[in-house]
Amino acid sequence: MAGRDQASYLFLSLLQARAGTSFVSRLGDVPLTAVPEMSSAELGQRVRMSDRAARAFEDLRRDFDPETMLGELERLGISMLTPADAGYPPRLMNVPDPPPALFVDGTLPEALLETPAVAVVGSRKASPSGLDAARRLGRALGERGVCVISGLALGIDAAAHEGVLEAGGATVGVLGCGIDVVYPRSNHRLFERVRESGALVSEYHLGEAPLAWRFPARNRIIAGLCGSVVVVEAAEKSGALITARHALDAGGDVWAVPGPLGLAECRGSNKLLADGAGCIWDVAEFVEAIAPVPAGGIVPLEKPLDVSLPAGLAPGEAAALAGVGFEPTEVDAVAGRSGLKMQELLSALGLLELKGYIHRDGSGAFVRRPAG
Amino acid sequence: MPVEVEVDVSAGLPGFSIVGLPDAAVQEARERVKVAISNSGFKFPTKKVIVNLAPAHLRKEGPAFDLPIALAVLAVSGVVPAQRLDGTGVVGELSLDGGLRGVRGALCMAEGARREGLRSLVLPESNAAEAASIGGVKVFGMRSLREAVDFFGGVREVEPAVAEEDGRLEETEDSDDFADVAGQRFAKRALEVAAAGGHNLLMSGPPGSGKTMLARRLPGILPQLTLEESIEGTKVHSAAGQGSGALMRARPFRAPHHTISTSGLAGGGSNPRPGEVSLAHHGVLFMDEFPEFSRGTLEVLRQPLEDGHVTISRVAATLSYPARVTLVCSMNPCPCGYAGDRRRTCRCSAGQIERYQGRISGPLLDRLDLFVDVPRLSREELRGGEAAEPSKDIRARVAKARDVQHRRQGVSNSALAGRRLREVCALRGDSEALFGAAIDRMGLSGRAHDRVLRVARTVADLAGETGISVEHLAEALNYRRSSFVGR
Repeated sequence: MAGRDQASYLFLSLLQARAGTSFVSRLGDVPLTAVPEMSSAELGQRVRMSDRAARAFEDLRRDFDPETMLGELERLGISMLTPADAGYPPRLMNVPDPPPALFVDGTLPEALLETPAVAVVGSRKASPSGLDAARRLGRALGERGVCVISGLALGIDAAAHEGVLEAGGATVGVLGCGIDVVYPRSNHRLFERVRESGALVSEYHLGEAPLAWRFPARNRIIAGLCGSVVVVEAAEKSGALITARHALDAGGDVWAVPGPLGLAECRGSNKLLADGAGCIWDVAEFVEAIAPVPAGGIVPLEKPLDVSLPAGLAPGEAAALAGVGFEPTEVDAVAGRSGLKMQELLSALGLLELKGYIHRDGSGAFVRRPAG
Repeated sequence: MPVEVEVDVSAGLPGFSIVGLPDAAVQEARERVKVAISNSGFKFPTKKVIVNLAPAHLRKEGPAFDLPIALAVLAVSGVVPAQRLDGTGVVGELSLDGGLRGVRGALCMAEGARREGLRSLVLPESNAAEAASIGGVKVFGMRSLREAVDFFGGVREVEPAVAEEDGRLEETEDSDDFADVAGQRFAKRALEVAAAGGHNLLMSGPPGSGKTMLARRLPGILPQLTLEESIEGTKVHSAAGQGSGALMRARPFRAPHHTISTSGLAGGGSNPRPGEVSLAHHGVLFMDEFPEFSRGTLEVLRQPLEDGHVTISRVAATLSYPARVTLVCSMNPCPCGYAGDRRRTCRCSAGQIERYQGRISGPLLDRLDLFVDVPRLSREELRGGEAAEPSKDIRARVAKARDVQHRRQGVSNSALAGRRLREVCALRGDSEALFGAAIDRMGLSGRAHDRVLRVARTVADLAGETGISVEHLAEALNYRRSSFVGR
């Protein structure tokens, strides 16, 4: 019987990956285990289906081979959790359209089920200071033993995962594509490391492509796995805000990191703050609020940002460093602020970069690294 | 290739025909020559006149044969002493009143005349000075058919034309001056380094950041063309049938569109004509939207960038055209153009950006020494700092740096490689230590390593110093590839 249930859930999962995320919830009182046996005409009478969905259903019914599919998952060491399983994360039932099957590559950390995990999400095109914030949050949470969940995308997601891994903590990456698909390719090393520390999770079966609509859909799973969502840099129309909304609907908390004015990539997260999200103005304080430790064991995790200039710099270097902000600053803007000649400035920037005081981001702008 | 004009006048029905693969413009010479002869006060023979242009297998183009045909006809009529025409090249287009019009490619013709060992060259006065700059051939400029007849008849003395200038050409005023560009001082400095060391450069930045505007100003800071360079450039242009034929004074700036074909870029056609890369000889080849060029098209750039010339093989001939260019490329950081921009959001997926940047082939990237990010600047960011410097002042520094390089190693710094590079760019003491740190910290590959050294050498040359110091190296590090490009 359990085997048959598994097969039914797998069928529904595959169907949902094709016919749209809300399909299962529209089934209403149709018994889930009966769906694979029905014809598309029968099913069509009970549920309204688009032509596309009906076709997908027909194709699926013809090709569906649960034994091979489940065997393949087993061979790859990927487990499948269904709402009937005890290990199915309970909070996930609170989000809209809980996935009929959750594929897990790795082991879901136990911490996830006990202390509520924290999701750190945000823009793929974050500023260096945003990336820095995500990494520091990841590290601090990892050190405190809190499981960090994110989407394994570029930008904030990757920085958060890396932060946790630096601290040796556990982290879970939720994918918007098949459980064995690496997207974006450039993150493949990170995928490996996340799997080793915790797990990769996806509602999509092997080989499913990273289609654009699947990413917003996976955000509900991120929301359903965590107790709190932290948004670091999100534009006004950002997937991170979808995650935040789902988390609120599921009864979780939402936090945001304040960003500078005028940055399109921070408008969404700043607006969250205005709407009443928790404000992360200090990493230690935030970690304390999320996961308080028993009395006596509190160590300050973060030093405040030191804006004073380090000693021992040549005058040109000092002027250049003063001109580089903690926000990404273009070379020409640094030149304007520092008043140096371009040749002198370029030499100074090169030296400062080598000494580790500043670094250059992908668009060629310079950012000052926080001391220490 | 010299063309001999033979004329035969025989008894028969009066007529005038031209043989020897003439094109339409040469065929029309019949009418022009007839009318010009009679309007100059001579008589066109009322006999059967046949003109043969030898060698017969070459196609003859253009109106430059008018004057030699007319003179040959008049020689047969006895108006011009035929022996005076020996050893003299004649070129010119006739107008109906017997006046002479200038022709294209006079420079090439003068060079051909010298190569063929001709004593003198007679051509329209407007081309005389240009042709005279070749030297080795006496050049006589004429205003009309009448003057030419008098000249050959010995009635009239004409002084041979003299070259306009010798050595360097006079400075030209360029309308595109760096003084007009506000801000973007980083990009300007990179262009100065590119000009001084002959380095190829890639600018990356969102639309509207001024990449094209900056590139246009590069020819203006390159040193003045020497006479020799100008002649080479002019020859390429006249071979392509472009330009007025007058001596080129400003360095060329060619900006082919990204839909250009391979033969458009490298040269081609059944009678191979030079392509854009040759037309940019001694100047700047600007390739906007670099990743949009087709891969095959870009591959043909490898030879010219390496050897300074391009070889085209066709059925009719295998030709080699010079193509020593400074390549300036520009690209958007992603398909929509706004990745990394701080005021507009990029709409491209990570995969799209990776694919877009992966379009440029590695071997071609290896031939680019300087990489600059050109951000869009707000008005506030444009304020302050040094005042914009006029191109003339930058050009003076560039010329000095180039002189230093040619005295030291005979080639520009961009051509340094291997043992030569290590000799010329030897590092000592603290520079060596700094460079070691840079290699470790920034993960420089072997090629990036050479590139930084070459650029540092140019920076030192611009500063007028013999050794590469820490400051020069540190500046050169800023021109390396940022992570957006070619990951």
